[in-house]
Amino acid sequence: MLRDITIGQYYPAKSCIHRLDPRTKIVGTLLYIVSLFLFRSFPGFLVVGTAFAGVLILSRVPFRYMLRGLRPILMLLAFTVLCNFFLTSGEVVWQWKFLKLTKEGLQRGAFMGVRLILLIFGTSLMTYTTTPNQLTDGLERLLSPLKVIHFPAHEIAMMMSIALRFIPILTEEADRIRKAQMARGADMESGGPIKRAKAMIPVFIPLLVSAFRRAFDLAMAMEARCYHGGKGRTKMKPLRYHWGDLFGYLYLACYMATIITLRIWQKI
Amino acid sequence: MIPVKIRSLVHDYVTRDEEGNLADKKRALDHIELDVEEGQFIAVLGANGSGKSTLAKHINALLLPTSGKVLTCDMDTADDTYLWEIRKSAGMVFQNPDNQIVATVVEEDVAFGPENLGIPTEEIIQRVNDSLKAVGMTQYGESSPNHLSGGQKQRVAIAGILAMEPKCILMDEPTAMLDPVGRREVLETVRRLNKEKGITVILITHYMEEVIDADRIFVMSDGKVAMQGTPREIFARVDELRELRLEVPQVTELAHELINRGVDMPAAVLTPEEFTAEYCKAAAGRIRSGASTENEGAPDANGNNVGAEGNDADMASGSTETGRDNASGADGAVLSLQNVGFVYGENTAFETVAVEGVNLDIFQGEYIGLIGHTGSGKSTLIQLLNGLEKATSGTVRFRGEDIWADGYNRRALRSNVGLVFQYPDHQLFEATVLEDVSYGPRNQGLSEEEVKECAEWALTLVGVDKKQWTMSPLELSGGQKRRVAIAGVLAMKPKVLILDEPTAGLDPAGRDEILGEIDRIRRETGMTVILVSHRMEDVARFADRLVVISDGHILYADTPREVFHHRDELTEVGLEVPQVTQVMQMLRREGIPCRTDAITIAEALEALL
Repeated sequence: MLRDITIGQYYPAKSCIHRLDPRTKIVGTLLYIVSLFLFRSFPGFLVVGTAFAGVLILSRVPFRYMLRGLRPILMLLAFTVLCNFFLTSGEVVWQWKFLKLTKEGLQRGAFMGVRLILLIFGTSLMTYTTTPNQLTDGLERLLSPLKVIHFPAHEIAMMMSIALRFIPILTEEADRIRKAQMARGADMESGGPIKRAKAMIPVFIPLLVSAFRRAFDLAMAMEARCYHGGKGRTKMKPLRYHWGDLFGYLYLACYMATIITLRIWQKI
Repeated sequence: MIPVKIRSLVHDYVTRDEEGNLADKKRALDHIELDVEEGQFIAVLGANGSGKSTLAKHINALLLPTSGKVLTCDMDTADDTYLWEIRKSAGMVFQNPDNQIVATVVEEDVAFGPENLGIPTEEIIQRVNDSLKAVGMTQYGESSPNHLSGGQKQRVAIAGILAMEPKCILMDEPTAMLDPVGRREVLETVRRLNKEKGITVILITHYMEEVIDADRIFVMSDGKVAMQGTPREIFARVDELRELRLEVPQVTELAHELINRGVDMPAAVLTPEEFTAEYCKAAAGRIRSGASTENEGAPDANGNNVGAEGNDADMASGSTETGRDNASGADGAVLSLQNVGFVYGENTAFETVAVEGVNLDIFQGEYIGLIGHTGSGKSTLIQLLNGLEKATSGTVRFRGEDIWADGYNRRALRSNVGLVFQYPDHQLFEATVLEDVSYGPRNQGLSEEEVKECAEWALTLVGVDKKQWTMSPLELSGGQKRRVAIAGVLAMKPKVLILDEPTAGLDPAGRDEILGEIDRIRRETGMTVILVSHRMEDVARFADRLVVISDGHILYADTPREVFHHRDELTEVGLEVPQVTQVMQMLRREGIPCRTDAITIAEALEALL
């Protein structure tokens, strides 16, 4: 049922990667993304790929889950690769009417494709091994130094976690409203895009009204439970670094050092 | 410490126009005086709009007095230095279980209050564990609230309040959105907390059965405290309560009616057990004084009431006959389900069987009560009837035609089998009531004139005043919204009208009005009505036939009288027979000769006099 939709895609397992502090994982993922863009050629991916594979094995997330993560961006991936194939100028390998396939294009397309795939792999690994809650917590802590310049780190984290709580509820509610209107003869399955968009109005308005009501109720319930912003708040599960995180950061440091060395000395 | 002390509290809801001038002033609370003693279980009763929620918000300092004084745990709510101390001391549980849970994991939600108070981590963990244990939710600590039932969610909300170690818990209609099982869970929890931990409880509700063991009851009406006293004192004033749009438990009403007819019983009887005991005493007294018992249908040697049994058989056959008379379609039934099953998320990890092996024929003009608790499959079943969901096995026929046959017009089916969902807010969307009701007929492709005609017909039929036709549906009261939602489906002139919990959240008078109107509509139009409910008392009064569903199976499909014979089996699946039926069965066990199959107060009265 719709209630079972999970936001993000946590893969429950007991592994040392799952146990890592979310901050370590967020920092790691960011550095990983940066490293992906440091390279101009294929050999670099070998390093990135190996480093990633090591973490993947430790995380015990099956590889097919990684592939599943690619599904939503398949169109984007195909589009990027094809654009690069056909729109890069250079030595023509194959031609059909105005479509020219060039050697440089093939190279570039494949390169971009691999980069995109590795990017998705890295970020999915983070969401597979970290619950959305931990992610918001981690983000709040990482961003909290910015509070000095009045950056609303706590508020953003609170908004994210409320969104996580209410998205499944509102999805289910949208489904119920849709059915209530279909029971009144609404036709939501046929017609062109404009007609379909128009048919959504009777669903959209009650949903909006309900969302506002819920927001109002929740705000009151939070106030009744003494919520007054992030100031002076304590945590039941404060984030604490463990030994594993030390190894995590060491691994990251070695990885970045290798990459930067290779980049400077080997120019790959 | 005095938990709550209120002195001539006045609250005005003020609306201002764009320039900030006073546009409208509505007095919600009018000189309230109220005292609550430590450790008491207090109930505040009142119809919708009587001001009881506003009162609760004052005690929690969510609202501040327009004039007068509110002292919560000896602190003045108007003094904002006490704000957090007040909210901590008098925690509040709200009506909607979903809209008060903040976190995505149960234990983190319970921790939300103490976290806000800046309690150290170790103590928070301790408090969360204790609170979850106190409400019996320890095993769900790491669950997502989305996977809990309504009753469980409310218990989580209570735990969230307990974790702040309050002296007093305010509950604003905490059971209004729950089914009977959830309601019982929540009330038992609260009662236990009151008894064992000595926490003062203020329960706001319009369910009378919930307040019979309260220490003190305040009845509100029009922003005033209209009555106050012990449950016994309050419930003795049946007629006054009715005027305030409230009711008393069925046994209390039965006793009241008996007293009115000269039976010697105490004024306020609160439970079926008490009624049985008192009635036995009264009956014994009457026999001693030699008064003739006026029981009709003299019992035979075995104590069976011959007359009553015969009467029962007559009524049963009568109702089926009326059904068959108006029957249409090939095999006589308007709607016919053959071996219908429905599985959610077939072939996925979430696969759940919602309905299985259902056989049911529904005849034109029949009034069917569909009963089952949340998760029994009743919501799925009604969606199968109008083709919103497709049965994964078996066939559903409307007037003999398979509704999932190729080329079958299911949109037309939906206007023939009208379904009104539980929450009117899920379907009201137009700017005016009339426009909203026109949505259905317009979808049927009728001309503008016909659309208007249908909409006006439907609104008149459900009794919505012409003055309200141009209002926004959002401005209406709960009961009126419900009427407009029903009109929105009626305007398509369906042959079958299905109503999912049409009385949920309404006060007793509002509930009776809607039920009365549905019955009248059925009689005027000859429509088939399927009423989904978990209130046995409601369906017993009107339905020709009860369909009891449990775990996706039909348990019983028979006249209410027959179904209520199976009291123990019904209890097992979390359903209760009406109190009058319970009483009659108990009296019989005590050796009082009376029919055991009375299902309404009128019938019971007739049997007992």
